[in-house]
Amino acid sequence: MGFWLELAASGLITGGIYAVVAIGLNLQYGLMRIMNISHGEFLMLGAYLTWLAHTTFKLNPLLSLPAVALAMFALGLVVYRLCFYRIARTAPAVEVIEARSLLVGFGLMFLVQNAVYLVWGADLRGYSYLTDPVDIAGARFTANRLLVFAFAVAASLLLLAVLRWTMIGKAVRAMMQSPIGAQMVGIDTAVLHPVVFGAGLALAGVAGGLLSMVYEISPSMGEPYTVTALIVITLGGLGSALGSLIGGFILGVVEAFGMHFTSPSLKMLLSYAVLVAVLLARPKGLFSR
Amino acid sequence: MIFAKKVKWLAFAALAAAAAAPAFAQDASVKIGYAIARTGPWAAGAQVTQEPNYIMWAEQVNAAGGLNVKGKRRKVELLGYDDRSDTETVVRTYEKLMASDKVDLILPPWGTGANFAVMPLAQKHGYPMLSPTATGRRLLGMKNPYFFALLQQPDRMMEALSEFLVARKARTAAVIHVDELFGLEQNTALQAALKEKGIEVVETKSYPIGIKDLSPVLKDIQAKKPDAFISLSYPPDTFLVTGQAKSIGFNPKVFYAAVGTAFPIYRDRMGAATVEGVMGLGTWNPKMSQAAKAYFDAHVKRWQKEPDRWASAHAWAGLQILQQAVEKVGLERKALRDHIASAEFDTIIGKIRFKDGENVSTPGVVSQWSNGEFEVVWPPQSATGPSLYPKPEWK
Amino acid sequence: MRARTALLVTLGAALALATMPWLLSDFALSLTLSCLMYAGLAVSWAMFCGPTHYLSLATSAFFGIGAYVTAWGVGTLAYPVAVLLGGLSAAAFAALVGAAVLHLRGAYFAVITFGLGELVRHAITYFEKSYAHTVGRVIADAPDAFTIYFTVLAVTLAAVGTSILVRASRFGLALAGIGSDEERAQTLGVDARLTKIAAFTLSAAFAGALGAAMAVRWTYIEPTSVFNPFIGFQTVLIAMVGGAQTLIGPIVSSVFFSLLTEFLRLQFPYAFLAILGLLLIILVLYLPGGLASLFTRWRKVHA
Repeated sequence: MGFWLELAASGLITGGIYAVVAIGLNLQYGLMRIMNISHGEFLMLGAYLTWLAHTTFKLNPLLSLPAVALAMFALGLVVYRLCFYRIARTAPAVEVIEARSLLVGFGLMFLVQNAVYLVWGADLRGYSYLTDPVDIAGARFTANRLLVFAFAVAASLLLLAVLRWTMIGKAVRAMMQSPIGAQMVGIDTAVLHPVVFGAGLALAGVAGGLLSMVYEISPSMGEPYTVTALIVITLGGLGSALGSLIGGFILGVVEAFGMHFTSPSLKMLLSYAVLVAVLLARPKGLFSR
Repeated sequence: MIFAKKVKWLAFAALAAAAAAPAFAQDASVKIGYAIARTGPWAAGAQVTQEPNYIMWAEQVNAAGGLNVKGKRRKVELLGYDDRSDTETVVRTYEKLMASDKVDLILPPWGTGANFAVMPLAQKHGYPMLSPTATGRRLLGMKNPYFFALLQQPDRMMEALSEFLVARKARTAAVIHVDELFGLEQNTALQAALKEKGIEVVETKSYPIGIKDLSPVLKDIQAKKPDAFISLSYPPDTFLVTGQAKSIGFNPKVFYAAVGTAFPIYRDRMGAATVEGVMGLGTWNPKMSQAAKAYFDAHVKRWQKEPDRWASAHAWAGLQILQQAVEKVGLERKALRDHIASAEFDTIIGKIRFKDGENVSTPGVVSQWSNGEFEVVWPPQSATGPSLYPKPEWK
Repeated sequence: MRARTALLVTLGAALALATMPWLLSDFALSLTLSCLMYAGLAVSWAMFCGPTHYLSLATSAFFGIGAYVTAWGVGTLAYPVAVLLGGLSAAAFAALVGAAVLHLRGAYFAVITFGLGELVRHAITYFEKSYAHTVGRVIADAPDAFTIYFTVLAVTLAAVGTSILVRASRFGLALAGIGSDEERAQTLGVDARLTKIAAFTLSAAFAGALGAAMAVRWTYIEPTSVFNPFIGFQTVLIAMVGGAQTLIGPIVSSVFFSLLTEFLRLQFPYAFLAILGLLLIILVLYLPGGLASLFTRWRKVHA
């Protein structure tokens, strides 16, 4: 594989990591305008659960992912009912929902992080899985990173397909476009909201589980991922599944090339420069509706 | 009659309780205060290297009858608070401990930044601090008479590494370092040492903390085929370069990653076979002496985890020094400071003496993972095992 | 409350607070200092974001810029000059940035302003590393605690005073108009763009000055700790929980939060964040108008 192609490929693969982290948050914000700033904490929780399953119960991490997804989905239903349902019901305007869900998100962030500190302590934990290199056209990539990339693409495309071609997807899109109109045609927000929130949390948990194969985990690992997710979905356009996938890839590739031509120290500057540039040209992100 | 019997029993019970009560219950306890990161980014390091040692030491001391204060045994009472990895909280907590609670002694927080913040307070209120997780010429440059740095300074560790390279006839090196004070100071020291020894540096690159992919940088370096690869990194990046170097098949004769290699999680997560031959910052291992093994075993028993092979032992040594000083001099803090600054102490990492706040006794060394243990491999007079050169293939 | 009454009350409070260094212990004074700092940050944040409903996470960037001005200037500049310069630098930065990003709204604006803090942090790290060959600066000669306290008190008072004046002025009215309907405000003669930039700049000045003032307490300034995003988060939290549209809300909230956090931290050394998080959630869910709504409810009942 040529040098430039290999560089682009490694950028795309890192971009896959960024995209996978953003999918869940995009779903929650896009539909319900819930700015779940505790998103990274649930990602972290998914990582810990997968790690626990692997080290204590000797389960294959891939096999435990569906279990993690289910557990996080259930948790999402509970969290929505306890924390966000009341906001959606009592808030007079959408901006108020955003503002209050942001504050509740902070509360959740403290709560979940501290809970994990209490249970597992602050030490770094981790395990290695699928760390063998895979040879693709002469270039070597780590298997677990390829897996994350593959999942990012598959999950995004699946989500797109569900939103476009299934009844439930159409209901979700209808609600994104017009909450009142959707209710008038009989779409039940009382069921859809918790389900979508739960799905968002499940995706966060699975992302965390996948990342636990690649990186070490600690209770404070969530916040940087929340930040990454926010940047990716803003870049791609809030609510757009394709947007966050492409946004993630763009960030990854820009970083890879930037690191090569300049210096890794400028990596963040480049990412933000890209974000600012995109938002100047298209104030609602790349694939805004 | 019954009343009298009750009184008799009560008196008997009271006497028995008084007899059974431990001897030190009568004297006031020695209050030792500290702020340490239990949450936030500093917590991962602080909870491996420092706080477990503080707590274990207090427990051991109390189990033996209490802290020996010039002959009198008194119970140790720890007052520890979470500083949330926030400098302002560190400052405020030590103000409380020193000025309001007026504790007898303090123990330092984790990391260079937090220690910098406490130094003026330590001098103002006169509390000696023995720091096991703060390094850098800048700290010592403050010339604070109450500050004692336990770790080896960057120049000594990098000197040792350079000597090792020369001894093994390595000619070229590539260096990467994290964009933090630690990375910068180590790099400055390293570049100077390498230049002096005539080793050519073919590439120097730095990266920001939190980076998720270093493979482009590693591939560039791989193409230059250096004899030695030196990564002046923090634990997350140490893990990253190890995994990614293995993945792209970059196996130079020397692979050195500064911080994180000494953590047991490094060996456990990457696998003992994978880390075989990797070098890094470390001072000790349980094979060094009886005392070291005793400390190691006690730590594993108490915390179900191993201490790290670098700063953990320095933290324990600092507590030993404090203990010995208090035994000799008592709790008058100026006298304590003077004693610590001038005397020589016996610790699990050997004899320690301070000069201008710097631990000048513990030599700069190079450690290497070999058969599941982090052996000290250079210089020969400090070595606990032979070195593996060149580094074996990644497994 | 009329502006003149509010100013008088503020002055009274200032005089009372000015006596604290002689009455309180070091620790209690530090706690008061912390309350004052967050009051200043929250009030200045609410000056712009309250009426206009923007969600700015740029406080960390402004605070950090101020802190670095002190770090660079210490030794050459007098402390009050550094604080002033810190405020001016942050304001200049805000004006520049505001011109570029204030057309964004909602979450986009929030993410971009969050990014600013990170951007400045990395830029300063790179600059320092490449040209000054250092990452982080030592402040060897710090002013004494009294000086720091009075400086922070002065800046916070200035922030509160400015906020009172703005709310009573046409400028404040224009901001409120922009907040309820920007286009309509434009048609009524408000230059929305300039007004927003001006308010954004003004709020940044105080955040920068506070950063410059507080930096001397830490002896060692490094990008990671002064550009800590948590400062921005906490400011937003305090202001919103207090009631961003009001004047008294952020002030009461900052005192409440600082004291509550410290109390929890000292009482529950291991679980205090969880308790804080829980309390926060309950507060937001069951007191949605913020702490200020308690005050207005009390006023309504007793009017």
